Amino acid sequence: MEPAMGMGLVALMGAAATVAGCSEDLESDIGSQSNPNSQVQLAAQVGYPHRIFNKAISGEPPSNAMYCAVGAGVAMVLIQSMNASPLLAIAIGAFVAALLNGVFSTTSYMGRSASQTRFNQYVYLDVLRNQILSLMGHAYITTFCIVGLSYVMWNQDLIGHPFPFPVIAMIWGLAVGAIGSSTGDVHYGAEREFQDFKFGAGLNAADSGNITRFAEAGIRSSMDNAWFCSKFGGPVTGIAFGMVVFLDNWRSTAFDGWISVAVGTAIVILLIIYNRQIETYARKKYGPYPEYSGDIEA
Amino acid sequence: MTDITIIGMLMEHWISIIGIIIGGICIAVGVHFVPVGGAPAAMAQATGIGTGTVQLAAGSGLTGLLAAGYMYMTLSAAGTPGISEIILICATGAVGAMIMISVTMLVGNWVYIYGVGVPPASAKKDYDPITGDPQAPYVAAGTVGQGMPTVCFVSGAIGGLLGGLGGSLVYCMLMWVNGDAAISSIFAIGVFLVNAVLPSYNIQGTIEGFHDPKFKRVPKAMLACFIASLLCGIIAVMIPGMSAFGGA
Repeated sequence: MEPAMGMGLVALMGAAATVAGCSEDLESDIGSQSNPNSQVQLAAQVGYPHRIFNKAISGEPPSNAMYCAVGAGVAMVLIQSMNASPLLAIAIGAFVAALLNGVFSTTSYMGRSASQTRFNQYVYLDVLRNQILSLMGHAYITTFCIVGLSYVMWNQDLIGHPFPFPVIAMIWGLAVGAIGSSTGDVHYGAEREFQDFKFGAGLNAADSGNITRFAEAGIRSSMDNAWFCSKFGGPVTGIAFGMVVFLDNWRSTAFDGWISVAVGTAIVILLIIYNRQIETYARKKYGPYPEYSGDIEA
Repeated sequence: MTDITIIGMLMEHWISIIGIIIGGICIAVGVHFVPVGGAPAAMAQATGIGTGTVQLAAGSGLTGLLAAGYMYMTLSAAGTPGISEIILICATGAVGAMIMISVTMLVGNWVYIYGVGVPPASAKKDYDPITGDPQAPYVAAGTVGQGMPTVCFVSGAIGGLLGGLGGSLVYCMLMWVNGDAAISSIFAIGVFLVNAVLPSYNIQGTIEGFHDPKFKRVPKAMLACFIASLLCGIIAVMIPGMSAFGGA
């Protein structure tokens, strides 16, 4: 393959990954999937019933791996057995995955809320109606982008990766879920869910379950959460996943053999140094906590 | 196929079984290095990455596996890869996993620092073992640390390295046995998950890295993963590739 063509494909994959990362995080924020869900689940039990969507289908990585593998499987069948256009096949595959997301989200919300009736947590049908389509829409975008970038990797005329198409999509689905759960979800779990508390600290264990239930106007819904998280948590998740896809593919496309290993190691060292710089910045900027009463000097 | 006995297969592929065991142990040790804060970390209540042990280890290790699979294909164009090629493939997988986990930790720290407004701090040590920075004054009240301080970041990068290395080694060994990328990749994912799940019983939800007291439990995980990988290896070498059935 021409080097320019290779770099163009890597850039395209990086761009698709950025969109996928962003939409994956917002999907999990709307549905309260993954770790912040523990607080949404706990809220009603400690006396704070709410109107936040509650769907912990599974951890984000396995659920996204499933959507992407299903999307890629459907697309592969359409491409190979019906000679369908790849773009159309990927779109149909992503649509099937979005339908799966809708089924899991509905049953998860109904089941979880219904099991909490003893804590006055109701099943709100308007919450279900209003948010299910946006969940499915975000799942569609995520799956479409990941299946698309996996197709670029798998296609023998493009990158020609030896793994089967659905396995590549499954691995990238697992990766986007792991990244979304580790980065963007913290913005939702540590900040948006507890906006009533002072900025600049994690959740005090004593306040567990006391989630913010009133919005800028009226009662808070999961749409309000997506609006807030789309300003920071979502985009940085996109940057993270885009960086992973781009950097990893760039070093193996632009360099060969041990040079690509050396370039990858240099990237990791640079990331460690940059992390140290922002750590030092945060320590200087915020200073020690005034409540601290130990002997260790800051 | 009829003249190939089970014992014959095991004797023929004993090197691959040993490779799968070494790969499995690398994965098990690597999981202990990854700073995982679990659900509390997602609320900035605990130091480490805010997701589950297995999911993060699998996310990074399998990203490395993708890079390793591509490198294997490139190198195998000139014949079956030997030991020196396998080392290069494993190094590629290890670096791929390191990139994934380092980017995740870095962006995670962006969210902790700029989004939540907390400085990264460890609650398991009074001073960062690498930088010597005091930690306790920077731990918020009612929490056990937050974010990824330098020691956790370096530990996580080492964890990614070992996870990617182990996953790639298992893949290479399976390719030696059956020469089928599809079967090898799926079985390598399976072996990876087995060896990522077993150590999570040691970790019990959260671990900060090599400086965490829980890290001392590594030998138990190594023993468990040795046995599990041995069983996986024995089964793996008996699975023929598509070429054995006359397929592609």
